[in-house]
Amino acid sequence: MSSAALSSALSAAGVPAEVSEEAIGAVARVPASDLVEALTALRDADCAFAMLIDLFGVDTGEQLELTYHLRSFARDEDAYVRVAAPYDGEVPSAWRVYPSALYPEREAAELFGLTFPGHPNLKRLLTTDEVELPLLRRSTAIRTQEEVHDR
Amino acid sequence: MALDKLLGENSVIFTKSEQLFDAARANSLWYLSYGIACCAIEGLMSAGGPKFDYDRFGIFHRGSPRQADVMIVAGTVNKKMAHALRKLYDQMPEPKWVIAMGACACTGGPFREYPNVVLGVDKIVPVDVYVPGCPPRPESMQYGFMQLQDKIRNRRKEMAREQRSA
Amino acid sequence: MTPEELSQARITPEGEAPAIVLPKGLRRVPRGVDELATEHLIVNMGPQHPSTHGVLHILLELDGEEIIAAEASLGYLHRGIEKLAEHRRYSAVGTLLDRADYISGIHTELALAQATEQLMGIEVPEKAQWLRSLFSEIVRIASHLIAIGTYGMDIGAMAPFLYIMREREALLSVLESVTGARMMFNYVRPGGVLRDLTPEAEPLLRQFLKTFPGYLEEYHTLLTGNEIFQARVKGVGVIDRATAIAFGMSGPPLRASGFGWDVRKERPYAAYEQLRFDVPVGESGDCWDRYLVRMEEMRIAAELIEQCLDGMPEGDVMAKVPKVLKPPAGEAYSAVESPRGEVGIHLVSDGTDTPYRVHLRAPSLMNLAVVDEVMPGHKIADSVAIIGSLDIVLGEIDR
Repeated sequence: MSSAALSSALSAAGVPAEVSEEAIGAVARVPASDLVEALTALRDADCAFAMLIDLFGVDTGEQLELTYHLRSFARDEDAYVRVAAPYDGEVPSAWRVYPSALYPEREAAELFGLTFPGHPNLKRLLTTDEVELPLLRRSTAIRTQEEVHDR
Repeated sequence: MALDKLLGENSVIFTKSEQLFDAARANSLWYLSYGIACCAIEGLMSAGGPKFDYDRFGIFHRGSPRQADVMIVAGTVNKKMAHALRKLYDQMPEPKWVIAMGACACTGGPFREYPNVVLGVDKIVPVDVYVPGCPPRPESMQYGFMQLQDKIRNRRKEMAREQRSA
Repeated sequence: MTPEELSQARITPEGEAPAIVLPKGLRRVPRGVDELATEHLIVNMGPQHPSTHGVLHILLELDGEEIIAAEASLGYLHRGIEKLAEHRRYSAVGTLLDRADYISGIHTELALAQATEQLMGIEVPEKAQWLRSLFSEIVRIASHLIAIGTYGMDIGAMAPFLYIMREREALLSVLESVTGARMMFNYVRPGGVLRDLTPEAEPLLRQFLKTFPGYLEEYHTLLTGNEIFQARVKGVGVIDRATAIAFGMSGPPLRASGFGWDVRKERPYAAYEQLRFDVPVGESGDCWDRYLVRMEEMRIAAELIEQCLDGMPEGDVMAKVPKVLKPPAGEAYSAVESPRGEVGIHLVSDGTDTPYRVHLRAPSLMNLAVVDEVMPGHKIADSVAIIGSLDIVLGEIDR
């Protein structure tokens, strides 16, 4: 249902997308270069995904995956747009389509080590310079028991 | 006055001025309302509310560090907050005391493994009383304040003892 | 010579300027203030500020009293909840998430428990579902009470805070008798809840329900009818519907903007499908509407508590779940309506006993993002009213 709407809206906009129905809902995988066009198409087409609920990254071990969680109030359903980016890679900023992406993008940029070209204010949000980044990648270790006990 | 009731009317007591001041200080601890995390709800808000009522101990909150005697560090201190914490501590007038409230302020608590978290606020400012718990109940904070009051009252005695032994 | 003539004489190009002889009592030639240039002032509000609800740091650019630009600087409470969750077993992740939204921890726990159940396909007993709804509503009132009380304090009304603390303690004693904790409950677990209502909990709740409507009237008298309070909040911080949707807002701030989306109604979870309740919606989306929506939600939550107590079914409170939870590899998203908005847990599992990735969709972060948009144009004193009306919790913003 929603995966058909997703793929028709995306193909109408001419965005190469791989749409599949997964356990969490309809997921469209788009190349990072076409992300802004894909989000614009989904917001403006009949399916009207008016709200960006959330944006978060996952470190898969080989690359980073950013998931954009969209919600359509007209159709009362959720959809996900997923882009893959290499470590320290670039993903275009989505803030002109959804202003709610402003803060989550800064967070993802800091904690996963990505850049969002086009973001108006990509400063460090959560940590100061004395902390080594990126903290949320799988390869970043947390403190060991010995370090904690010796404090 | 209460002293009359304790010692009889028109009685005279001899004491050192500093000791007298310390007795007064112990009964008028104004804390800096500096809530960082979860502990602030318990230690500063619930405790200031009608059920626990810190006010009856002479403990009241101030918004500015310049007017505060004691700083309750109520929550996790991370590396970004550490600078602000030290700046606030340096602004407080002497004599000043610090209470580390909760597991996070004592040792880093449940977040101690995260590289951004400071392992205990005693790395940044000297701590007088540690109150364990996650979060401590308001009663624990009251007990912590009583310990601090004892510490303040006996401050001169302790200093004199140290001088004698030195 | 008058002072004007003297100052004219001083700038004559030829010859030495005569020494200025000022009349007695004057130290310099008066020139007025027209030549003074004004510049914008950057004010750091926070991280230690009595009215920022925690450790929020907002940079305000001011032209006199007026705000030109605002920017939130976050991270003073960034303590790695998402990272540490990847190193904890599923049963221990709830203790971390309790501390994310620390005023209403039970909602975040519930979202995690539901996401874990989705992955493992656990059927939750009906009684546990009703208890989940019951405790969600108890905590909703406790959280809204704090929001209203501290909001009064921000605006300059000290008294309501003392009154709301009285009712909050009544609710906390119920929570303590059942869950064993006043704030960090860890009560909702994957598969059900920790334990049934204790014998003393129901009389305490019934007593609370009897007195609460009267107390609510008291708050209305103290705050709603207070002219100073009305003047401070009416028409301040207007967020229209389109802005609220564009910024991904949820919860009372979204509903105050005239859009009645509530997860409890639209995507029912726990026992909300069997419960009857209305969703209050505001009109103009100013601070006043946000305040009124919260007051109305408290009244409705008290009704829901009564419905839950009356309709509580019999049965188990915990499904049969293995000691060590190992969900199959996959993804799940579960959303819950917390007092601040839609709390979502996005859970990615790789089949081991620790989650691969836990992402918390923090409603406060989305609601806070709008201050950059709303604050410019207001006076500096209004910034406190706007932040307070959004009812943010820094624990879940910074995570």
